[in-house]
Amino acid sequence: MGVISRIAQALRLAPRGKTPVPFVVLFKKFKSILERNNRILTLMADMGDKLGGEYVFDRRYVEEACEELSDQIFKLVSDLSILNRCRNVPLFTAFETVRQEIADELAGRHHFPDTAPTLPLSALRADMADAAGGKFAMLGELKNVLQLPVPDGFVVTTRAFAEFMARNGLPDCIAEQTRRLDADEEGAIADASAKVRQRILAASLPRGLSRGISEAVAALAERLGRAPASLAVRSSAWNEDGEASFAGQYESVIGVPPAQAAEAFKRVVAGAYTPEAWLYRRRRGFKEHEAVMAVGCQVMIDSLVSGGLYTYAPLTRNEEGVFVSAAWGLCAPVMSGEIETDSYLIARRAPFATVSREIAHKPRGLALRPEGGTAYADLPPQKADAPCLTEADLSLLGEVSLSLEKYFKRPQDVEWTIDAAGRLYVLQSRPMFFYGDPARRTGAIDAAVKDAEIVFSGRGDVVQRGVAMGRVHVVRSDADLDDFPFGAILVARHTSPRYSRVMPRAQGILTDIGSPAGHMAAVAREFRLPTVVGCDLATQLLQTGDEITVDATQNVVYRGLVKELRYFELTEEAVYEDSYEYRLLRRLLKKITPLNLVDPHAPSFTPASCRTYHDITRYIHEQAVAELIAFSENSLGILDPSARKLRTTLPLNLSIIDLDGDGSAQDGEIEVRDLPSLPLRELVAGLTESGMWETAPVPVDMGSFMASLTRTLGMGGPGEEKLGRNLAVVSREYMNLNLHLGYHFVLVDAYAGEVVNDNSLYFRFLGGVTDFARRARRARCIGKILERADFRVEIHGDLVIGRIKKVDLETMRAKLRLLGGLVGFTRQLDVRLSREDDAHCFAEEFLAAIKPVTEDAHDPA
Amino acid sequence: MTQPETTARTKRRLLVLDDEPIVVKRLKPAFQKAGYDVEVFTDSAAALAAFEADPADIVITDLKMEGLDGIAFLDRVKAVSPEVGVIVITGFATLETAKESFHKGAFDFVAKPFKLADILDVVGRLESHLESRRHAR
Repeated sequence: MGVISRIAQALRLAPRGKTPVPFVVLFKKFKSILERNNRILTLMADMGDKLGGEYVFDRRYVEEACEELSDQIFKLVSDLSILNRCRNVPLFTAFETVRQEIADELAGRHHFPDTAPTLPLSALRADMADAAGGKFAMLGELKNVLQLPVPDGFVVTTRAFAEFMARNGLPDCIAEQTRRLDADEEGAIADASAKVRQRILAASLPRGLSRGISEAVAALAERLGRAPASLAVRSSAWNEDGEASFAGQYESVIGVPPAQAAEAFKRVVAGAYTPEAWLYRRRRGFKEHEAVMAVGCQVMIDSLVSGGLYTYAPLTRNEEGVFVSAAWGLCAPVMSGEIETDSYLIARRAPFATVSREIAHKPRGLALRPEGGTAYADLPPQKADAPCLTEADLSLLGEVSLSLEKYFKRPQDVEWTIDAAGRLYVLQSRPMFFYGDPARRTGAIDAAVKDAEIVFSGRGDVVQRGVAMGRVHVVRSDADLDDFPFGAILVARHTSPRYSRVMPRAQGILTDIGSPAGHMAAVAREFRLPTVVGCDLATQLLQTGDEITVDATQNVVYRGLVKELRYFELTEEAVYEDSYEYRLLRRLLKKITPLNLVDPHAPSFTPASCRTYHDITRYIHEQAVAELIAFSENSLGILDPSARKLRTTLPLNLSIIDLDGDGSAQDGEIEVRDLPSLPLRELVAGLTESGMWETAPVPVDMGSFMASLTRTLGMGGPGEEKLGRNLAVVSREYMNLNLHLGYHFVLVDAYAGEVVNDNSLYFRFLGGVTDFARRARRARCIGKILERADFRVEIHGDLVIGRIKKVDLETMRAKLRLLGGLVGFTRQLDVRLSREDDAHCFAEEFLAAIKPVTEDAHDPA
Repeated sequence: MTQPETTARTKRRLLVLDDEPIVVKRLKPAFQKAGYDVEVFTDSAAALAAFEADPADIVITDLKMEGLDGIAFLDRVKAVSPEVGVIVITGFATLETAKESFHKGAFDFVAKPFKLADILDVVGRLESHLESRRHAR
């Protein structure tokens, strides 16, 4: 690399102090760490993108991507070793641990997560099926992410299950009976099943587990404010998600008095070895060691009415609805078909009008008994023949139905119940697998959409595939978010992470501007919301209330509802989430992308706390910058007599090392116009011309925005703060700038020349001094500005990284000027945000104010 | 009197071959949706047998496979039906081989992992290419 060799050359000429490692080596390693950091962030983002459904990838890709990532991380740790003189053993250990976990996962060696024996439902998410089993991980997601009502409870984890089995010698017993089945399945099944179930029911719970269950029941009572009258104890098998749904195979015990929860746990575990369940597993190719089961316990709801629903029932070619069945009392007899039910067909969109209904004669219903257990009760004649659902109930069920389907990208088979107070609870949601008629599928997209009016197509980037239908809700301000209607499609000028709060209610998102790698995109993917960003014209062509269909799979927006498209989406033969490679990548990414080290000022910001590759990368990034800043602050004077101070009215205290210079000592300060580096010249121009740094007098053209800012600064504001010694290492086209400005650190690394492909710009901001919440707020504000200025942005706590690559020189100049302004602005922001609790971000004001400065960029300085 | 080409046009027949099941599992519904008649294979011998029995208009094949590899497969289908349009999909490691496949008459190649939109686009270009060649004849 040209820059590095010139650095080497330049600094070799310079006389050096007693630095044990030459500055040239340190700077080279520092540079390489920045580049590798970029490479790793990009790799991780690319791997995450693959989960959106737009890409086709195979196992080879997963293996190669992991290998490259591991390789880059290893080199990153090695580079830091040189920078900080080998104080890195804990980092290598952390790296090796993660690498080994990834290798195990790729090899199919699975470790059950190390959890407490029980976990509360509030702690569960969809990706925790390893610990909580499929059903309860999914219920946790519904409750905690989609904010749907689910009865509170807890789960006995897979790990606790495995320990229960092992302590009682059950795996050996099962292996023995399995051998009998292998020899004579039909003949041996009844006896083998009886033997195993008997052993399970007679087994004793490990002390830790029985204590865990009592504590979980007590904690549940505390959350409810009273002891639960009875519990529903239900299986949550490890493999329950995906295509093998085990529907109805495993036992649930309802009406369990809390004191008998441990007994019910054993009954549910034994239920895995009924002849039917056991044979079902064997015939579907499951191995015995895969029969792992978590067991969930939930509060029994004292049901007024319960039932099931299919979220999607295609009737005729262009008709569809939500099909609901319902009966008085508890849900169990509806599912087993023991009692008569009402049937309702409702529309698939708000306000979910009733299309048709059939009211049955329902003379009895199952109810909870006060002393525990359940019993059928006879109902009075007027109730027996009355519809058991109101319009309001149906509308509620319609909302839940669409939320579930949108999230799971499949029609769902849902169990629900409503209590005497009219509160709806979701008990279960599992995918329905019905495949479309192949003749109707092939080519029918063309037929389905040929009469539909296209609003626009092929614009922008698909973030998440899928089909969304509903009314447009244009969001221009936070107030528009407050009244965001259920089932609407969010249309906005820019992407914003703030939209995440309405995502559970939205059907889809369209923005004019934005990057598929941004923060909002990641959240939209999490909610699996069909999303297209950068459509350019969405806010011009669409208005609040317009009814549209967003096909984020083909990337087309239609006016009106094109219901055929939904048929395709929901009856697709292979949903990509059902593939092994998808699940593998998702599991691997859990060891790669989560960031646990967010606050560099926290005591836990250590190598030993690094649990993922992202943690390691973040830690090293931080350490590398700290090393360089410490170095430039302490030994700059000794280091390089060719370093010159920048002459400026701003208290920048900036020393400049010119890599193109001859290394001889220079006297005096350097003028801005004589700066030998284009990137630095533009950045300083942005800083001075924007007036962002000034405290007084306020330039007239900056308008009331700056005035309002500076008014609060008062006398003796930021001008008197501590300013560190700041360093820029530059050449004609290159700049590496490290600024320690009072409350924060800024690093800008830029190369700007005539060759577009070589150009790159890297901006890093890390806050300090104020509390973490404020620092994080400031980081979000800066992130927003960068995102709007087309940077690829990563925000982690109070760290912001913005990157741009391969743009032309004109654009580079403009971006550098913008960053100059931003450096000054962040200083103002420090004061603003440290004084006000509810700080306004001023991102729009900043962008408006900086515009004339960046537009000037084509005039050579 | 010649009929305009469009009215005579029937559904294009597409054969997809990749030894990783996930790839064909993803491509099949995508091409069906786009209106193609699609057959998929994860085994090159079976794919070749099917092609020999009834040649498709367009073939999409992986390069690196057990048994008959992509280049050999390309040779064989071209021998059976010289006018067939072939698109090669390939992992990063076999990018060089993919370039070689041009000499064997491949229309284009797509590197894995790819977006569904990208491969639909390449197939679309191949279709217009086949169309114009038919006109030229």
